[in-house]
Amino acid sequence: MKLNKFLSTVILATLFSLLYVYQQSEVVRLAYIGQKKQAVFQDSLDKNSILRYNINRNASLVHIGNKVLGYADFHMPESYRLVKLNPPGRETTGTNLTADKENIFSRLFGITRQAEAKTINP
Amino acid sequence: MHISNYRRRVKAVFLICFGFLLLCVSRLFYIQFFHSSYLTSIARKQHNLFVELEPRRGTIYDVNLKPQAANMPVDSLYAVANEIKDKDKDAIISQLRAILNLSPAYLRDRLYRKKSFIWIARKINPQQGEAIRKLNIKGLGFLRESKRCYPNSYLASQIIGFAGLDNQGLEGLELYYNKYLKGAPGWALFLRDARQKKLDIWEKMVLPKDGYDLVLTIDEVIQYIAERELDKAFKAYHAMAASIVVMDPHTGAILALANRPTFDPNDYAGVTKDQVRDRAICDLFEPGSVFKIVTASAALQENRVTETDKFFCENGSYKVASHILHDHKPHGWLTFSEVIEQSSNIGTTKVAQMLGSEVVYRYARLFGFGAKTGINLPGEINGMLKEPRFWSKVSIGAIPIGQEVGVNVLQLANAISVIANGGQLMKPYIVKEIRDKYGETIKSFSPEMLHKVISLETADRIKKILVLAVENGTGRMARIPGFSAAGKTGTAQKLEANGAYSHNKFIATFIGFAPADDPVIAIAVMVDSPHPVYFGGVVAAPVFKNVASDTLKYLKVNSSSSRTVNPNETNKINPGD
Repeated sequence: MKLNKFLSTVILATLFSLLYVYQQSEVVRLAYIGQKKQAVFQDSLDKNSILRYNINRNASLVHIGNKVLGYADFHMPESYRLVKLNPPGRETTGTNLTADKENIFSRLFGITRQAEAKTINP
Repeated sequence: MHISNYRRRVKAVFLICFGFLLLCVSRLFYIQFFHSSYLTSIARKQHNLFVELEPRRGTIYDVNLKPQAANMPVDSLYAVANEIKDKDKDAIISQLRAILNLSPAYLRDRLYRKKSFIWIARKINPQQGEAIRKLNIKGLGFLRESKRCYPNSYLASQIIGFAGLDNQGLEGLELYYNKYLKGAPGWALFLRDARQKKLDIWEKMVLPKDGYDLVLTIDEVIQYIAERELDKAFKAYHAMAASIVVMDPHTGAILALANRPTFDPNDYAGVTKDQVRDRAICDLFEPGSVFKIVTASAALQENRVTETDKFFCENGSYKVASHILHDHKPHGWLTFSEVIEQSSNIGTTKVAQMLGSEVVYRYARLFGFGAKTGINLPGEINGMLKEPRFWSKVSIGAIPIGQEVGVNVLQLANAISVIANGGQLMKPYIVKEIRDKYGETIKSFSPEMLHKVISLETADRIKKILVLAVENGTGRMARIPGFSAAGKTGTAQKLEANGAYSHNKFIATFIGFAPADDPVIAIAVMVDSPHPVYFGGVVAAPVFKNVASDTLKYLKVNSSSSRTVNPNETNKINPGD
């Protein structure tokens, strides 16, 4: 009886020990798997950070400003190169003058003047 | 006989076994009770790996949360010199030299050390890392670190400063707010496998505390406009230095602050002190005629003059004690308003003589001269303003017109803001808030009025005079198409090393605000030693004009009603407004 009890205790202890060893080896195995996945994840995160930084740098005003000033020969035009245009509301162009004179009869019978040139003082 | 022999032998074997067992037990006893701590520590060293966990350094944002300083993961190259055979080292040195641009002597010194870990190059760029990885050299390894990067290059570099190799702040806000930005490192005890490789199983771990983020009052767009225009003037007039401050006159928030010469914080290795110095708050200079706003404000506030009171300007030459004062062009009788408009030194001195030294000094102090503004930036200086008891007989003809006083550009911007905001001296600030990585505010900075300088009525009267100075006076080149502007020019002779005023070195300044009827921005511009032209009205006023014009357009300030619109709400604006 005593021997049976002793043997069952030993078997139980051995089983628990094996279970513990298996558990530990599983922990280590999972850690290796996790580590590989973590490395991939970290790599993606790092690439994301680098891309974000590059976007920020390329979109920065300094970068765009340098590109614009470096490649485009842009100058503000001298005043004599500017053509003054009257605001649309107060425009007195030839077309407007013609339109004023149009009425339903002239439109129906097509007797409006085809063109009316008029100079505008700037 | 046989039995007794057998028993004896069994006993002997038993005794030997028992003795061996006793030996083992006693050894175990000894190990367990007398040697355990030593052996445990060795085992711990073999099984565990202590790793310091680096915190994330806080990001610096502009007012619209655009990053101005951020962290980027980069590789650092190390060598396990013991693992590299001596015969291979020369070949490795030549390969690394080509990729890393390092001297062979440096590499030789590193690789021939008998060490298990030694840095070769820290924080190398991704291309270099890739090239070295392709070589597949045994004994070289990479560690991932974070590097401080500045996407906007030189923009606001003197404000932001830079952080060193170990991510510690070395200049500017990076230094001033280092304790908030740096965070606190954590640590962990990781398990190691039989090959001494780190496993992602930790026995103990204290997580790092990430650094807080800074949100500045600086607007990236306004900063760019200010730097662009300042740079143009700096180059066009071959100046020695230049500074500009753009601020919100009602709150004291700094919208832009720039200096020339400047530097790129991404490459700070070769920068000089001249490039790093934030001249707008660190450099002292005599302001010249822009200081006349103090004398004028004092005279109006004390009811000693009115705008129409006339002063005889002595046709350009006036003796004060032993000193003969000149105007840049001779004037006869001028009204008080015209004295400021035309920037007459003689007229202003006569006004100051009426007021007396005590009053002029009191108002100069009220305008914030001779004391720190209290801005949250490192390195600010007091300026220089003598107490009346130290004034010489000549001082009354010098201090009211901006000589014998030392100011910085920020003080000038703050002083003109007093006129713009109706008479209040605000405390300038450049950091709006400190927040954690989740966006929760840890500390915020709000507008703070230091004291009342002049009444609203006096401010309005000065404002009108300054509008005339831009419309008809010395500041005509500061006129902004579509907007009204107010301002004052200044051209001050620089002091030579022998203490005499220079005849060919000047400081050109302009201070002003726009729109004049409802100011949105106040600007101070200083250009040091411009040539061949050196007048504030010609050199500094156009910088003001261009910066104000573009900034008002960017802020969508309506030219007729001066209404401000949040730039983020552009889709809500009716184009017909």
